[in-house]
Amino acid sequence: MSSLSDAKRNLRERAEGALRREVLSELGRDQPGTVEPYRPKGDRFWRLLFVPLYRRIPWTAKERAMSALGMTAKGWQPPARKPGEPWRPPAGATRSASADPPEQPPAA
Amino acid sequence: MERVIVIGGGGAGTAAATITKRLNPALKVSVFTEFSDIAYSPCGIPFVHGREIPKFEDLFLSTVERYEEEGLDMRMETVVTDIDLDRRTITAKNQPEGFDQLVLCTGFVWEQPDVPGANLDGLHYVKDIRKSMEFDEQLDSMKRIVVVGAGPVGVEMAGGLARRGLHVDLVDEGPWVLHEILDPDVAKPVHDSLEARGVTLHLGTKTESFDGNADGHVAAVTTTDGVFECDAVVTGLHKIPNTKLAEAAGLKLGTTGAVVVDDHMRTSAPGVWAAGDVVEIPHGLNMIPITGLTGAHGYAQGRVAAVNITGGELAYDPVWVPWGMVGGDYTIGGFSMGENLAKTLGIPYVLAKGVGITKARYYPGAEKTYVKLLAEPDTLRLIGGVIHGGEGVKERCDFLAFAAKRGATLYDLAYMENIYSPPIGALFEPIQIAAQNALAAQRENKLAVVT
Repeated sequence: MSSLSDAKRNLRERAEGALRREVLSELGRDQPGTVEPYRPKGDRFWRLLFVPLYRRIPWTAKERAMSALGMTAKGWQPPARKPGEPWRPPAGATRSASADPPEQPPAA
Repeated sequence: MERVIVIGGGGAGTAAATITKRLNPALKVSVFTEFSDIAYSPCGIPFVHGREIPKFEDLFLSTVERYEEEGLDMRMETVVTDIDLDRRTITAKNQPEGFDQLVLCTGFVWEQPDVPGANLDGLHYVKDIRKSMEFDEQLDSMKRIVVVGAGPVGVEMAGGLARRGLHVDLVDEGPWVLHEILDPDVAKPVHDSLEARGVTLHLGTKTESFDGNADGHVAAVTTTDGVFECDAVVTGLHKIPNTKLAEAAGLKLGTTGAVVVDDHMRTSAPGVWAAGDVVEIPHGLNMIPITGLTGAHGYAQGRVAAVNITGGELAYDPVWVPWGMVGGDYTIGGFSMGENLAKTLGIPYVLAKGVGITKARYYPGAEKTYVKLLAEPDTLRLIGGVIHGGEGVKERCDFLAFAAKRGATLYDLAYMENIYSPPIGALFEPIQIAAQNALAAQRENKLAVVT
C-alpha cells in the first residue's frame, strides 16, 4: 500500500476514534448504565485541538473536503431517485385505457 | 473453457460461485477455501454455545458434495498464497492455476488484541465452525470466561455463555455495550438484560494483558478494572478485511483498509472482482466507505459480481445498513446511524421520537417499541435511527433503511399506511408516532437542530 493510502487510513482511524470518544462522553453523560470511555495515551492532542477544530467546520465543508481528499467512494451510480422526489412509473410502462396520459419520465 | 476462480467460501464466495455457474454453465468455476467446511452460518455459532440452537450441524445450509453436483470445482483446505495478475494465475499448494476472471472473497480476520499474552492458548475467535465445535466441548469443563469486546459478537457470546451457566466477565473500553452502533439511551435495558443472564460488565475498561499458566494457556486477564481469572477468553473486537492477497497483488485499498470496488464489484484490476467483508462499500448518506457489513450484504454482493461476470448488468446500491440483534433478551436495532455516529461526524440532525406498542393495546403480550429517527433539519429526509423493544424491530429497521434509500422524509412516515391487526399490529404504528411527534414540534417551533 502506498504511504499516502496508509496516511489516509491512519488519519481516518485516529480522527474517528478521538471524535467518537468525545461524543460518547457527551451523549452518555446522565444516561443510566453508562460510564466514561477509556481514553488511550496520546489522546490529548486529538481531544484538545483536533476535536474542537473539526467541530467548528460546517458539515457541508467537511463533505467537500472528504471528497477532495479521495475519502469518499467513486464509481458508484447516483441514487435512482433524488431525495424527496415522488415515485414515478418506469418509462414505457403500460397503462390501462382509462388512465391519465403517461407521466413524463424523470429528468436524468 | 473460460475459467472463473473464486477465492473464499463464505457467503459472498459461495454466492459468486454458484450464481456464476448457474448463469453460465459453460464456465469452469473453481472455489478455493482454506477451511474444511463451507455453506454454514457463522452468525449462529453464539446461539449454539448458548444452547438456544441445539447443534452446530443445524447451521449448515449445503454441502461440498452438493456444490460439486452442481458442477463447481471445490478446492477445500487449499490456501491461495499468491495472485499474479500479469500471468493471470493464482498459486495454491505451490501450483499455478490460471484464471480468466478472479473473484476475491477472502472475508475478514478478527482484530487481535495488541497486548501481552495475545498469543496464549485459550483465546477463542468466533469464526471457524470446527474450532467452535472443539471450543464448545471444552466449555463443558469450564467455569469462568472473559469476553473482550462488547461489540455484536462479544455481546452475543457473553449472553449465550452466561445462559449456559458460565461466569462471564464482559470487558470493553467503551462506556456502554455496542457503543459503536447503539445510542446510550438504549444502554440500560441491554445492560439489565445481560446482567439478568449473569454477565458481569466492565465498561470503560482496557484489557492490559492476558496472563498464562505454566502450560502457556490463558489463566487470567489483567484490566484497568482488576484481574479476572478465567478458563478461556473470547475475543470479539473488530473485523479486519483480509486483504493480504489483494494488497500483494497490487489491488487498490481504501481508507478502511479494504479493497476498493465500484458498484459492479469491479476492483482496480481488469477481470478481478471482489465481494463480501474484504471490500469497502459506500454509505448511502454521504458515500463514505465502510466495512463490517453482514452476511446478507456479502451474499448480495456476490450475486452482483456473478451477474456482471457472466455478461449481465447489475449495480449494487450504496448501503443504509439496517442492523438488529438481541442483547441478552432485549431486541435492538437501527439503520444508517444513530446520534452517536451523526455527532461524531458532525452531521446536523433533528430527532423524531415516539413510543408505540407491538400489538393492539388490549391484546395480551403487547410490548412497548421505542423509535428514534434522525432527519435532515431542512428537508426532514431520513438520516438514521434506533429502534428497540418488542417484536418487529427487525422489520421496522429493514423498512426504514429502504425508505431512507428512496429519500423518505418524516412527512412520508407521518402519513404512512400500516397494518392494524390486534395480534400483530396496533392502530398507530410507532414509526408514524415518532414522525408525527416531530412534525408537531416543528409546528410549534420546538424541533431543535442537534449539531
